[in-house]
Amino acid sequence: MRGVNVALGAAGLAAFLALGEAVPRLGLVKEAYFPPTTRVADALAGELADGAFWTALGDTLTGWALGLAIAAGAGIVVGVVVSVVPYLREATASTIEFLRPIPSVALIPLAVLLYGTQLRSVLLLVVYASFWQILIQVLYGVQDVDPVAEETARSYGLGTWARIRHVLWPTALPYVMTGVRLAAAVALILAITAELVIGAPGLGARIAVAQTSQAVPEMYALILVTGLLGLLINVGARTVERRALAWHQSVRGEVAV
Amino acid sequence: MRRLLAGLAAGTFLLATAACGSSGGSGTSGKAASSGGVTTVKLGLIPIVDVAPVYLGVQKGLYEKHGLKLSITTAQGGAAIVPGVVSGQFQFGFSNVTSLMVAQSNNVPVKAVSNGIASTGVQGKDFNALMVKKGSAIKSAKDLEGKKVAINTLKNINETAVRESVRKAGGDPGKVKFVELAFDQMAAALDKGQVDAVCVVEPATATVRSQGGVQIASPLVDVAPNLTVALYFSSQQYAQQNPDVVKKFQAATAESLAYADQHPDEVRQIVTTYTKIPASVLEQVTLPKWPAEPNRSSIEALEKLGEQDGLFKSTPDLDKLLP
Repeated sequence: MRGVNVALGAAGLAAFLALGEAVPRLGLVKEAYFPPTTRVADALAGELADGAFWTALGDTLTGWALGLAIAAGAGIVVGVVVSVVPYLREATASTIEFLRPIPSVALIPLAVLLYGTQLRSVLLLVVYASFWQILIQVLYGVQDVDPVAEETARSYGLGTWARIRHVLWPTALPYVMTGVRLAAAVALILAITAELVIGAPGLGARIAVAQTSQAVPEMYALILVTGLLGLLINVGARTVERRALAWHQSVRGEVAV
Repeated sequence: MRRLLAGLAAGTFLLATAACGSSGGSGTSGKAASSGGVTTVKLGLIPIVDVAPVYLGVQKGLYEKHGLKLSITTAQGGAAIVPGVVSGQFQFGFSNVTSLMVAQSNNVPVKAVSNGIASTGVQGKDFNALMVKKGSAIKSAKDLEGKKVAINTLKNINETAVRESVRKAGGDPGKVKFVELAFDQMAAALDKGQVDAVCVVEPATATVRSQGGVQIASPLVDVAPNLTVALYFSSQQYAQQNPDVVKKFQAATAESLAYADQHPDEVRQIVTTYTKIPASVLEQVTLPKWPAEPNRSSIEALEKLGEQDGLFKSTPDLDKLLP
């Protein structure tokens, strides 16, 4: 089953790359603006041989990982606290719904003013965008706690911490993992966008330099790298999710079928 | 596994608080560090051909000679550089003259310290050009009435310049439709017919030319002969508190500009170190002029036109702004 999936996935990607080669070659799009896959691959080889590319990749991954970690930590803690403390949920609900839709990129001027073009500017945007993803999932997860289980735990005399640990957390974990998986993708997009727009060091800044330099194949090569990075991050997040939830019926059921 | 996750969560929380804690001290990072007679200053630049003299000056040791060590930070456009300098993230920055005048008229405390770049002043042979597609019916800037012209930023230096080109050709600039588009996208937009004309700068000018684009005006040349286009600037506060550093920066930059102006081959060489302009394009690029001093009368002309177009809240005070 797994082998077939991988083969199908690879076939899809190969077809896409072939299309990328054919479209400009057939003259549907001008080669100058959309170079064929082979020329992009050439440019990619050039990038891979350049030390500065690896530094940029490292910068982007640092911004992504650090931002995601901060957002996950803060999202989980805030989510649990808001849910557990009486009235806090009602008191914060409208504020959360007000702040959540604000696009992270709208905060770029603020980020520049506070931190210039440094990593912290990227982190501000990444954390802002991915924090809500995780927080909302944690809130939903806590809401899903079976009241009977909760009451049972109470009548057995379990304290607040024990109830969080044994009742709330196992119920919320699948939601938390979904939140982290979504946030991982959002964090990557925001890290690269921030670099692209602000100019903080990383793949995004490299794309921007290629763009303003009219180096079109290099630009697409770098865009391809960001796509691959997204793919890897998604695969990684799914793996972590499967491992962490191996005990949960949603994952166990999948294996049994 | 659960314990691991709990540990992970606690760890990230600590990391978050640590990151917040250290960011509190960022205000002091703007201060110039001085050691052994050499002052390190941060300079915010856009990675374009225009700033080549600074890179060349660093390579040739001109800044070192004046006791300065430049820490160059590249940003993606003036939107990051002006706030960066004003908030003290950078001590110096690079920006076009109109942006600085707009900032000044809005009471943003900017102070120009050195010349940046100037137009070549030669009609048809400038780094900035107003161009139309090969075979277009538009023959002069006057024909742009009712047409769509792409410029990189609305209400800025290039809009002022294109309006002046239309005016000089006998047209009404009020009838031109301006659309905002990044320089690097202009060639494709012109080719596709999404816009009727583009106001481009190098290296996009070379790209449009290589596609057979026809130049109908040199907008910056139309504003004033030898127009000063961009300047290096600082914040008023920094310039007041560190007059000696500013003096060193001025002297080193003036030497770098003069050197770059006389060594175009070395300029083309150094550009490849911080941009990705392909060698084939770089050969075709028209370099700007790099005079050591800004040309005040040309800036006054630009100011007058900007005021006419309603760019400024109040008249910019050039005595306060210029070095």
